[in-house]
Amino acid sequence: MPMLDALWRDAVQSPVFGVAVTLAAYQIGLFTQKLCRGATLVNPLLIAVVLLVGLLEVTKTPYADYMKGAGVLSFFLGPATVALALPLYNNLTSIRKNALSIIPAVLVGSITTCVLAMAIGSWLGASPAVVLSLGTHSATTPVAMGIADQIGGQDSLAAAFTLLTGLCGVMSFSAVMAIARVKDWRARGLAIGVAAHGLGTARMFQLNETAAAYAGMAIGLGALITAILAPFLAHYFVP
Amino acid sequence: LKAFLILCLCVFAGDILHLMTHVPLPGAVIGLVLLLVYLVVRRGPDPELHKVSSSLLQNMTVLFVPAGVGLMTQLPALEKDLWPIAVAIGISTILGMFVTAALMHLINKARRSDADA
Repeated sequence: MPMLDALWRDAVQSPVFGVAVTLAAYQIGLFTQKLCRGATLVNPLLIAVVLLVGLLEVTKTPYADYMKGAGVLSFFLGPATVALALPLYNNLTSIRKNALSIIPAVLVGSITTCVLAMAIGSWLGASPAVVLSLGTHSATTPVAMGIADQIGGQDSLAAAFTLLTGLCGVMSFSAVMAIARVKDWRARGLAIGVAAHGLGTARMFQLNETAAAYAGMAIGLGALITAILAPFLAHYFVP
Repeated sequence: LKAFLILCLCVFAGDILHLMTHVPLPGAVIGLVLLLVYLVVRRGPDPELHKVSSSLLQNMTVLFVPAGVGLMTQLPALEKDLWPIAVAIGISTILGMFVTAALMHLINKARRSDADA
């Protein structure tokens, strides 16, 4: 079908292609999760990514062609992050009242993810660039990329690690909270914000808005702590 | 559309502040703080800003999909250190989440019983 091939090649050049297939794949992901009664292991993001990678592979569409349109979606992450100010504003009094428990929890949580990731990575013999990039895995992607670069890691590795971290956090969230026996949505939101940044926060908007506000705040605080801590740890783990 | 302009202006102003001050926070997070200040001064969002923001936030996960596809194209490069990476990320993410939730919960409980005593 050489004619169809040519038609497809021209069609994927349009930016609409990337946006449309991404939204369609995500809809399929959401629908599948609904079919499985919201099971957290059936993750719509993961399903969408696997479907899209398969589609690009089968149709031999280059990633660059896909990103012509899909890059538009990534752009919206900036305004979406800023929009986190609204749930924060709505929970401002509750946040001020809980500052004494929020600050130590975020501090200890961020130190835990940062130190453990680098320690385990170097202990299991990962290459220095990987170990250094692992330290920032729980920070929000732009911060993780910036710091990783600055301490001798690789920004592309750091971006990949933050994404894997986000998926891991979202998929293990319910189980971890059940084991920790924490039912308070403020603590739950704060925890997923510290460990799984924007992806975790995005998930909270589907579950509980207060949790999302706390998660959004944890992204900012956690990023700051990681930025200060990671350079020191870098000297320790990769002398 | 005015509401979306406000959001974009905050990102842009955040980016500029980031370049000027070299604070280790991305422009969007600085923009978040700017918008929060704006909301406090104005005593809350107008209905349009509320509508635009909540539709963005409700659908935030889909915005990560393109990055996820990009990751898959990178997997061969990660293959060599796949196990250390998977174990390090898995354990530290789960424990970090556990510690944060448990600590906030414990401190709140202690403060409540202090208040009761």
